Amino acid sequence: MPKNTGNVQTMSTHSSSETKRGSLAALARRPETGSLIGFIVVFTFFSILGGSVFMGPAGWSSWLNIAAEVGIIALPVGLLMIAGEFDISVGSIVPAASMTTAMMAGNYDLPALVAICGGLGVGVLIGFVNGFLVTRTSIPSLIVTIGVMFAVMGLTLGLAVLIKGSTSVSYVPAPLAKAMLGQFINYMFNVSIFWWLGFVLIFFYILHISPIGNWIFATGGDRQSARNAGIPINKVTIGLFMASGFCAAFVGVVQVMTYQQAQVAGGQAFIFNSIMCVVIGGVLLTGGAGSIVGILLGTMTFSVVNQGVFFVSFDPNIGSIIVGILLLAAVLSNDTFRTLAFSAATKKSRG
Amino acid sequence: MDLVSNLLRRPAAASVLSLIGVLVFYVVFGGVDFGKLMNAASWVNYAARIGIVALPIGLLMISGEIDISIGAMIPAGAMTTAIISGYFELPIIFGILGALLIGVLVGTINGLLAVRTKVPTLIITLATLVGMQGVVLAGSKLFTGSASVPLTAPEWAKTIFGQLMFGGSHQVVIVWWVILAVIFWFVLHQTKYGNWIYAIGGDRESARNAGIPVNSMTILLFILTATSASFVGMCHAILFNSAQVSGGMNDIFNIIVSVVVGGVLLTGGFGSILGVFVGALTFAVVNKGIDFTAIDRNWSNLIIGVMLVAAMLLNNTFREMALRYTPKKGGKS
Amino acid sequence: MNIVKLAKLMAVSAFSLVTTTVFAADIFVIGGKPDDPFWSRVKKGAEDAGVVAASQGGSVTWLGPQNYDNLGPDAAELIRQAIDQGADAIVGPDWVPEAMDPAFKAVVAAGIPLVIYNAGGIEAADRLGAMNYVGAVDYKSGYAGGQYLAKAGQTNGACINTLPGAANIEAFCNGFNDGMKENGGSGSVLQLPATAFGDSTAVAQAVRAHLLKNPRINAMFAIGDQDTNAAISGIQQAGKTGAVHICGMNFNDSILANIKSGTQACAIDQQGYQQGFFAVSILNNHVMYGTTIPTREILTGPGVVDASNVDLVMAGVKAGAR
Repeated sequence: MPKNTGNVQTMSTHSSSETKRGSLAALARRPETGSLIGFIVVFTFFSILGGSVFMGPAGWSSWLNIAAEVGIIALPVGLLMIAGEFDISVGSIVPAASMTTAMMAGNYDLPALVAICGGLGVGVLIGFVNGFLVTRTSIPSLIVTIGVMFAVMGLTLGLAVLIKGSTSVSYVPAPLAKAMLGQFINYMFNVSIFWWLGFVLIFFYILHISPIGNWIFATGGDRQSARNAGIPINKVTIGLFMASGFCAAFVGVVQVMTYQQAQVAGGQAFIFNSIMCVVIGGVLLTGGAGSIVGILLGTMTFSVVNQGVFFVSFDPNIGSIIVGILLLAAVLSNDTFRTLAFSAATKKSRG
Repeated sequence: MDLVSNLLRRPAAASVLSLIGVLVFYVVFGGVDFGKLMNAASWVNYAARIGIVALPIGLLMISGEIDISIGAMIPAGAMTTAIISGYFELPIIFGILGALLIGVLVGTINGLLAVRTKVPTLIITLATLVGMQGVVLAGSKLFTGSASVPLTAPEWAKTIFGQLMFGGSHQVVIVWWVILAVIFWFVLHQTKYGNWIYAIGGDRESARNAGIPVNSMTILLFILTATSASFVGMCHAILFNSAQVSGGMNDIFNIIVSVVVGGVLLTGGFGSILGVFVGALTFAVVNKGIDFTAIDRNWSNLIIGVMLVAAMLLNNTFREMALRYTPKKGGKS
Repeated sequence: MNIVKLAKLMAVSAFSLVTTTVFAADIFVIGGKPDDPFWSRVKKGAEDAGVVAASQGGSVTWLGPQNYDNLGPDAAELIRQAIDQGADAIVGPDWVPEAMDPAFKAVVAAGIPLVIYNAGGIEAADRLGAMNYVGAVDYKSGYAGGQYLAKAGQTNGACINTLPGAANIEAFCNGFNDGMKENGGSGSVLQLPATAFGDSTAVAQAVRAHLLKNPRINAMFAIGDQDTNAAISGIQQAGKTGAVHICGMNFNDSILANIKSGTQACAIDQQGYQQGFFAVSILNNHVMYGTTIPTREILTGPGVVDASNVDLVMAGVKAGAR
């Protein structure tokens, strides 16, 4: 079986790690190029309108801070979508993890490391439950994760009021924990940006270098063929859900360390925002195609648009309309590029 | 026995059983007074609100697409009516037409994008959702300067769209819901258009090759979903004399869940109107039934989540049993 | 046991059983959603007063909407649901009068005693025939914040609205802007899109960008603990701590820590706990014993918490009541 091809028959899938040819033309036809162009267009647009403030460190740190948090979640969500699944529960894992960490350290005075592990552990556990339900039943992941999202929201609130008697916990982090997870460098750049880049490298390795990446593409392309080829698709799926749980929990922990309090409500925005980043980055909803570079660019594009509206003289109300239009434009341009890439590839193979 | 097994194999059977299961749970474990629950209108009103939108969403999902922009269309319909007839004080008929028109407009955009591009409809409607959220908020601030608008509708409008019947608890929207359910049932199960929808959901290309006007049907279905959402918003604005800007995110989850609990497959090609109707009822009972128990409200989302997964498991088990069932005699299956 | 004593004991218990079951009050309280930090304190107050009701055989049931997307209609539905569930008394906020008044009028028409709390003011109570009004007035709370900051010399203000459309937040911001204007300053509103709700980073970055874009702003007002903390972070990131003063609506222990350390100027206290507690108590006593409170309009706020009185407040916060 040819490695890493995903769905063979239609034009709608493309494996990005195949094209190792060095030619510029080949590079131009990669789907990520579409994402890159989208990012450049958007960044230029806001630079022109936003002026020197946007192009200076204040502007950069502004959207990078946003990108880091949604980006950490978008990476495993993207992998899940490549494998053909959705994870809606990330929206509730973020506050669940931050509340767990804050309560363990703030309420029960456990050492910071233990509390952080507790928060991350909650995310991994919920991810395992998601994966288990998706692989053991035939309920679609969209529905499973919606159900788990509700359940986790209810548990977080119920337990918080039961144990603490209120819906928020404040916590002043130990200096080391704060320095590593919640600090602003120069008051502007949050350390989470570096963690995000670290995650990007890890996920790049997983998807494009290690064999697990092949498995993920194969699972998303055609589940049955993948299973027949001996790929442990159940383990892959459960592992991916645990990864998205972990990453969502990580963002929750970072937020506690940064803002020194945890709230029961909140985090819902990450659900659709992470999906938008992934899609702008060229990941297909039907599964089987996508790349880490694409997700990275998609996250950056989304964040620039999200933050850029506050630097320009538009009415911020218009912000949502712009996000919608740009989302469509980015996806359409991706679409065009992918089509071009495919027609070129098939021409080449025929000629 | 044959009749029973025939009944059990219908797509709606699982959702009816889910409804019964949910009611049993609340009565047995939650201590709900069944009589009081049946007497109360709040959950039926809520079922009508999501049910009216769930019906065309069900059709759309059977045809293999999805529409999440309805989350923003419900407040869009309400705000359009309120701004036109409440703020600008034009006759209510303009407000009603305005709300329906905006539904048609957004539905057309969704549909055109769906057929002309290869972008998945989840993303198209995500973009229109976000865009409409902005349009409604910006429009509201632009025209009225505030994010919520009052409206006083004349009597005739209230009677048709916004009345409370049966001694003041049940909303007229329920009647609309039932009427629309009957109409959709007829179209889906008794006319060729229904066959077309199933065919498109089964395999789009084959349907197109068989001569079915796939593109027109898709656009029409998107228009139906968007317009039904703005219709619901409009009815609420007339009934409650006010409209507000909102994100509508929760409505999206609630409606999709109702449709899926009602037996419609996310991948398309399978489902029934009765199932969607019962699915909306089930979700409404799950959501509102907690208020009738002594369980602390803080746990309500947990109960919703667990019941959702349980209802889905039930659904799937029954569907699999139904699909695996082969009639022993040569009777009609 | 002596037969006479036994008979007396049985008679007394039978009598008290009869009296408690006949006059027990099932009180229904309509409030915000359970994971809202402010409303969880109101709920706590209502439930603490409910302990008394329960000891007399009554109960307190909390009805809240799942979210704030459709505030007026959802609340009106809950009010009618309370009637259907057989309420002996109802407490409700008049958030959106045009949507909720008909429901409240149905309550009064059904002969159920009603107390309006949290929103609407005594005007609502009078208009609807309710027994009383308990609460702060959102507009006045915002006004207090604007007034405090303007009087301290911060005259260019922005109110952060992360949930456009919610009537109470609109009232807070309108009050804040008027409070600034009428004390020599000017006010504006920073509106965030719905996608930013609940995301501290989004709020912080938006605040920072807004401050950098509008350097003349030196006063801010945020609704709720999460938004206030996020705004403070945004102010820090813009490098304007000390130059921009911020007041917040409601508070928790982290907010009080902010006030103590000087990164926050003040917090406006509505005393939500008191709203729930007194509304329920008034109704419970009325149903049980027929009592009323002649004072119309029981205001629980706005109170201003700043560096001068923050220590007193801290103990209450620890108990989750403030």
